[in-house]
Amino acid sequence: MKRLICAVALMFGILSTSAVARDIAHELGTTTVPDAPERIVVLEFSFIDALASVGVAPVGIADDNRRDRVIAEYTEIIGDEWVSVGTRKTPSLEVIASLSPDLIIADKNRHSEAFGTFSEIAPTIVLDSLGGDYHASVEQMTIIGEAIGKPEEMATRVAAHKAKMADYVAQIKPKAAGVSAQFGVTNANGLWLHSPVSYNGSLLEMFGFASGMSPDGEGGLYEKTYVPTTLEQLSEVNPDILIFGEYADPSHVDSWSGETLYEGLTAVEAGKVFNVTAHNWSRLRGMLAAELTAADIVEIMGKIE
Amino acid sequence: MKSVPAGNLRAGIVRGASAALLLGAVAVGALWSLSTGGRSDVGFGDLFRPDDLARTVLSDIRAPRTLAAACLGINLGIAGLALQAITRNPLASPAILGINQGAALGLALAFVLPIFGAVGPELMAILGAFGAGVLTFAIAGGFGGRMDAMRLILGGVAVGAFSYAVVRFTFTLEDDIARSVVRWTVGDITDIRWDATLRLSAWSIPGIIAAMILSQRFNLVALGQDAARGLGADPRVTLLLGTVLAAVLAGVSVSVAGPISFTGLVVPHLARFLFGGDHRILVPAVAGLGAALMLLADALSKVLTAPIEAPIGAIAALIGAPWFLWLAVRAKGFE
Repeated sequence: MKRLICAVALMFGILSTSAVARDIAHELGTTTVPDAPERIVVLEFSFIDALASVGVAPVGIADDNRRDRVIAEYTEIIGDEWVSVGTRKTPSLEVIASLSPDLIIADKNRHSEAFGTFSEIAPTIVLDSLGGDYHASVEQMTIIGEAIGKPEEMATRVAAHKAKMADYVAQIKPKAAGVSAQFGVTNANGLWLHSPVSYNGSLLEMFGFASGMSPDGEGGLYEKTYVPTTLEQLSEVNPDILIFGEYADPSHVDSWSGETLYEGLTAVEAGKVFNVTAHNWSRLRGMLAAELTAADIVEIMGKIE
Repeated sequence: MKSVPAGNLRAGIVRGASAALLLGAVAVGALWSLSTGGRSDVGFGDLFRPDDLARTVLSDIRAPRTLAAACLGINLGIAGLALQAITRNPLASPAILGINQGAALGLALAFVLPIFGAVGPELMAILGAFGAGVLTFAIAGGFGGRMDAMRLILGGVAVGAFSYAVVRFTFTLEDDIARSVVRWTVGDITDIRWDATLRLSAWSIPGIIAAMILSQRFNLVALGQDAARGLGADPRVTLLLGTVLAAVLAGVSVSVAGPISFTGLVVPHLARFLFGGDHRILVPAVAGLGAALMLLADALSKVLTAPIEAPIGAIAALIGAPWFLWLAVRAKGFE
């Protein structure tokens, strides 16, 4: 009898170990990941957002070699024990391998070509973080929740996030009716507008803002997410509200100050040009990031009134 | 002997027609460049009866860019003509002899090292261009009086590659510096304004005049080293003067717009094809052709990838590279 119990226990044991792995469908196919990965390496900021939202700390982060790019809102949850694996553009395979991870989360645009190499180091899933819009980034949260073995916790957090965003939408939407708003980042050399298909563009659209960006002047849409824009082009977009994220001081947009065409912009004439933290708006994506952006927009609309 | 004046007359007519065609091309290029841009509602018709908005767009944004494109064509064309004359090598151009890259290196040093920053970016670009030119000619044996064609091109490639490697190295130093330096790796006048355009154009007219003064020396160099020396023009002096002229024109162009390849190579060839080998005629012809080519490139840069504007350097290469290939396949140019 004892032997039988042992055999049954053993069988269940084998069954349960074979059930510990799960299949996750992602941008580049399906990957079998361990049930509760403990050593996770993330290669985009939105994946930190996902992990932090269910209280999981990654062991390695592609933080662009700058630890302060992982903002305090994240480090409060994930601590600062992570190892930098280099830039998001070209993360160090050596450092990643040395961490002996059991899950790597990579970006479709930046890392598709290295998928094979990553997969040799650890099970890897690839999601469209950089090129995806806000709605896609929230959908990716659910995939990541399953990949890290916390689907229920993630579902709860996503529901709470959606409720919070719905509340922001209710606050902003009545004031956004018939108002166009445009976000762009500017460094020392140029201005890049984030088009309606971009992450920030889709957020502004959700809050009820119109976009003046229309390449043919007839409502056609840009295919690109980030559009290099000259002052002459900006004067045609001419939104009611301009939101700039500046990566340099003085920025390229600052150099336009005093030019007739710039001073004649609707937003400039009405004093509706606002600066936000470029890093939070432009590089971060996810739930906490979107909530920060929404809070910025609420603040901006408060100033306009 | 009747046929000689008739031949002269025919040549004169061909030359006159070419000159008229050239002026026409400059005018068409300028009008096309002015009538396209970021605003789709400011077009050709607004050139003649602009409202307030169109006037602002034309005078503040498009005019300085159009003039900058023309001046770039003049500067690079003259620089290329001078280099091809003093080296007697049809492959010589600011890009191939490493002079553009040397200018970019000078600029990068001005941004990275404060001691060079004090000199000012424009002068650093000229010094870098001159240094690269002198180094290339030294490698080719030019100051000894006998320039080796193969060593000249190889030397230029080596000097250019080295300069460019240093420029690229500065990318890795610091993000903010990298963003400033990256501007000097591709020719771009997308958001240029009057201050930069005036810095550029200030050298174009003196450049043409200097080249006119040197044109007779260029003609003598074409006769060969010994003939030139026999006629009282030491080719080494011509080499030095031509290098200074090319370095100043290429250096200023790079400091304003970044390096632009092929213009300096293609324009002198096209001018010789149309107007013959006399440098006294070639100098104004190259200036006109260079301006026309770059005006065309500027207009195309706004149209080809609309609504996003392409860098003029990329368009110039698109136009110039096939010509370069044709030159290489024809092989006569390499004799």
